[in-house]
Amino acid sequence: MKRILLVLVLFASLAVQAQDSLSTIARQALQNYKTLKPGKSKFMVRGFFFTGFDAVDVEGTTDFGFIGGGFSPVLLYKQSDRLFFEAELEGEYGGDGFELGLGYANASFILNKYVTVRAGQFLLPFGTFTEKLHPAWINRSVNAPLGFGHDGIAPSSDIGLELRGAFYTGPLKLNYQVYVVNGPQIKDGSIEEDEAGMLKFGYMRDNNKDKTVGGRLGIFPFSNSMMEVGFSTMIGKVGTEGSRYKDVTANLYAVDFSLVKDLNFMKSVVDIKGQYNYSQISSAEYLDFEDSLGGFYSFDNISNGYYAQLTVRPSLIENKFFRNLELVGRYSVLQTPEGALWEQNPTQITVGLNYWLDWRTVIKFGYQTTSGLGDHDSGETLTQDMFYFRWAMGF
Amino acid sequence: MKKIIIITSVIAVIVGSVLTVSSCKVSPRVSMKSGAQIWGENCIRCHNGVSPDAFSDAEWEVAGMHMQLRANLTQEETRKVVEFLQSAN
Repeated sequence: MKRILLVLVLFASLAVQAQDSLSTIARQALQNYKTLKPGKSKFMVRGFFFTGFDAVDVEGTTDFGFIGGGFSPVLLYKQSDRLFFEAELEGEYGGDGFELGLGYANASFILNKYVTVRAGQFLLPFGTFTEKLHPAWINRSVNAPLGFGHDGIAPSSDIGLELRGAFYTGPLKLNYQVYVVNGPQIKDGSIEEDEAGMLKFGYMRDNNKDKTVGGRLGIFPFSNSMMEVGFSTMIGKVGTEGSRYKDVTANLYAVDFSLVKDLNFMKSVVDIKGQYNYSQISSAEYLDFEDSLGGFYSFDNISNGYYAQLTVRPSLIENKFFRNLELVGRYSVLQTPEGALWEQNPTQITVGLNYWLDWRTVIKFGYQTTSGLGDHDSGETLTQDMFYFRWAMGF
Repeated sequence: MKKIIIITSVIAVIVGSVLTVSSCKVSPRVSMKSGAQIWGENCIRCHNGVSPDAFSDAEWEVAGMHMQLRANLTQEETRKVVEFLQSAN
């Protein structure tokens, strides 16, 4: 009997000890969970990187080499269900070494389910390319279409205030952005005489008291969101206050189109995108630096350009290698004002073959030819051929 | 003065539109969509479909909010997509 009691006491003692140990483990696990459990504020770093190789031939003179590439981290911060912050740094190896710039930095407040207020520097919703399609791992082609980027006619980013949102009316989905920003500025030729009358975008400090207003309306005609048509505008004074260009205004318009569709008979996903840009700047006289008498010249300051892009990816076939291939073709045109020193009318054709290593990493091979009246540095008709290789990664 | 009139008009149009839209009914075909369907229809408009295991549940909340703002998803669409990606993660 004593033995039985002894065994029971021993068993009870071991059970208590085991329970204590389990409680300790549970407490530690709870502590670890509390330590690792994310709070309401959440931070995330995303972005993209690209590098590559170009072989460029301009009128018989060939140049080739690796390009340094670009690195653009995007910082995302969700402070609450209503507050959000995003910023993009743009790092790129240029002619003067590594250059770092600010792509955008803005804060958003979700006012209600139809309206979000955004303030700061943001990518302008002028069409879709700049705001949604420019990152190297999203852009199926090797570079931006004609008319975008440096010396382009489409605005990139600006500082100001924006309202945006999306909603359904029956099966129809609409989205809108309306903004007030400092606006672009007109170049008077005092710094670069051959750019007189051109617009400068993304300038940080306003040059007049007038603000530029703009917006975009996007319409999804079908309930499956496969097609979108967008209309954009941007209107404002662009001349510097007190200067002879103080009353010069710019009216910019764009129409964009997107169609992404599974075509089962081709076992492929087809993606068609395009954008037409139109820029009208009121007439002004610019100093003719080649005229010793200090005369002026003028021109009809209207520019336009567009691109159309088709990609086909056989995503629906079973062979893993072939379903990661993607064919891309793009046609792009730019026409700047006749009579301006920056007059050009290039046409560009790009054909490429992409291979997707995963959903956000792509290797691009292709050929691009650009011909027409060249840039304002040369003023001559040029043909440029380029073979390219790019490795782009989103993260 | 002209700018103020334009801005005021634009804001009035937005407020009016919002009030009008809020009284509209979303079609059942749209409201019955699952998170997976919305994910499949919307991500590929710009980039390839995202694998659910690409990010953690907490990161999907941030990425979802980012896409709500960048890709103009509605709040309801964003909620469904994030819930789908978190459940499939």
